[in-house]
Amino acid sequence: MGEILTQLSHGFSVALTFTNVLWMTVGAALGTVLGMLPGLGPTTGIALLLPMTFGMEPATALIAMSAIYYGAMFGGSRSSILLNVPGDGAAVASCFDGYPMAQKGRAEAALAISAIASFIGGLIATVAFVLIALPMARFALKFGPAEYFVLMIFALAATAAISKEAIIKGLIAMAIGLMFTTVGLDHQSGMPRFTFGITELQTGIDFVVVIIGIYGIGEVFENLEHIAKAVVKPVQTKFGKIWITMEDWKRSFWPIIRQTPVGFLIGILPGAGGTIAALMAYNNEKQISKRSHEFGEGAIEGLAAPEAANNACSVGAMIPMLTLGVPGSGTTAIMLGALLILGLQPGPLLFQQHPDIAWGIIASMFLGNVVCAIINIPLAGLLVRVLSVPPRILYPLIVSIAFLGVYTINFSAVDFVILTILGFVGYLMKKFKIPAAPLILASVVGEMMESSFRQSMMLSDGSFGIFFSSTITNVLWLLAIGSIAWPFISDYRARKKNEHTVDVPLE
Amino acid sequence: MRPNAWVGLASIILGVSYGIQAIGLPRAPIGNPMAPIYFPLGLAGLMVFLGALLFITEARKGLNSDDKNKRPKFHFESMKLIFAVILFCLIYTVLFERLGFVLSTIIFLMSMLMVVNGAKKWVQNAVITVGFSLGAWYLFVQVFQISLPTSPFGIL
Repeated sequence: MGEILTQLSHGFSVALTFTNVLWMTVGAALGTVLGMLPGLGPTTGIALLLPMTFGMEPATALIAMSAIYYGAMFGGSRSSILLNVPGDGAAVASCFDGYPMAQKGRAEAALAISAIASFIGGLIATVAFVLIALPMARFALKFGPAEYFVLMIFALAATAAISKEAIIKGLIAMAIGLMFTTVGLDHQSGMPRFTFGITELQTGIDFVVVIIGIYGIGEVFENLEHIAKAVVKPVQTKFGKIWITMEDWKRSFWPIIRQTPVGFLIGILPGAGGTIAALMAYNNEKQISKRSHEFGEGAIEGLAAPEAANNACSVGAMIPMLTLGVPGSGTTAIMLGALLILGLQPGPLLFQQHPDIAWGIIASMFLGNVVCAIINIPLAGLLVRVLSVPPRILYPLIVSIAFLGVYTINFSAVDFVILTILGFVGYLMKKFKIPAAPLILASVVGEMMESSFRQSMMLSDGSFGIFFSSTITNVLWLLAIGSIAWPFISDYRARKKNEHTVDVPLE
Repeated sequence: MRPNAWVGLASIILGVSYGIQAIGLPRAPIGNPMAPIYFPLGLAGLMVFLGALLFITEARKGLNSDDKNKRPKFHFESMKLIFAVILFCLIYTVLFERLGFVLSTIIFLMSMLMVVNGAKKWVQNAVITVGFSLGAWYLFVQVFQISLPTSPFGIL
């Protein structure tokens, strides 16, 4: 415990420099704005803003990115509350009671409670993070290449298996993502693979290009479809004092405290993300509340619970990324990628070799939550004006930002062609309802996955037995199989009870 | 045909063509010559398996039966818009390093805005375009010190 406190206070000294606090604030504000815009969630937001961090020190870059992530999670609910359009999947549950509250003239209370709940949820989750991170990183030192390979299989399987309907399509998306990573010079033998004689392809397809293409450009293409008929809903931009009453606080307090751990645990698990955490928190509260009939008509606890859970979830999601080096969601996959670009290998060794960075990020989570709360409560009225920018102006600008960002990765315009093609692929995937998250995750971990596979095979002299040789691998296999089987089991149980299940929306 | 059956079919085709490419990959000169090929081959197999699984699942429901997942619709109007933007992207690729960031971005963003936002609002479009191009140039080149292509005319 003492060691953790020493490390943490060291982390605060890293995070509290002027530059870092500045970028934390800028990141949180940009993230909030991007999170508010419908269709642009944290994943796309971080991908678009990633190039901005290339010139920064590693710790600053990660602090900025974490701030963007939290900002986007805070911001996602703004448009849920004011427009009934969730800024991202995790904010879907915030529409259920947030929008009715705004319609009843309680927009101020809704905006305030969502920021307060997010703040408390994020803060408690960060404390839990601090307690878990070090033991987890120490445990992960026991992992060899075989364990890592199976761990990545588990992370990918869990991400692909979010909904029963799309499970095969999720796995297909994963396989496409892995295929992308095999393009370019093979790292171990130096042989070119799938380059079709194009020199520029020898360095491979950068996963940042994949992410910006599939998420960013694909999103824009899909939105261009209904742009002709898109009407900008008038947004309330004049507010009274954005705060809550004592009565609101009393009703929200226990739901926030109860649903934070739920969100945090869901966040640690790979695959299930903020959307599931928020929906689950909402359903939990609805079931135990004495006022369940008020849910859906503007019950403040119906907004507080999912908000606390989805922020706790985003903190939890950073655990496997930082301590194991294996991300469990699209967003953390991008952050992992960013670490790799900076030349850092996340995972257990990060805590040993770069404690300043690891603990700096953790300290910045505390500070980031405070910054986000400040941005989102007093400044909410100002920031929501972004929502009145018509999409027909916004989307061309996003395309330009995406291209600029991609250029700064390899300084080669050839990437533009790949970006455009991937954008169209992303668009088709949306049209055919193929989930994108498994593809993104696969395109980030694919290379590590192949090299740990080949290292294991070398260690075992070509025997597949190495993947079943330790308790850790066997448990991970069970988890992987379990996560694929789970949607079917829960569906079967629900049908037996004749209950209505909510299938999780893909995005 | 049901949309998922199309996805299945496309996956099989992708898996097979990727697999054929994988078999044709050059062998590694040192170590196990097949080492760079195992992983892609496994992927190709997985892809074909998943595609077939999806196709068969759909076929058992009746390939042309009603699907509660609506068939994706591609409207002429929206496709026109999307293909126009794709075309602009490709032109941008050609111009970017030749004309420099500022000029090529002005052409790129302006054409997108004229098509998406409408030609009637050309004043608004022009202001946004020039503001963005110069602003982004200033931010990247002056603040972040990231170099962007410059125009052949020497300025910007």
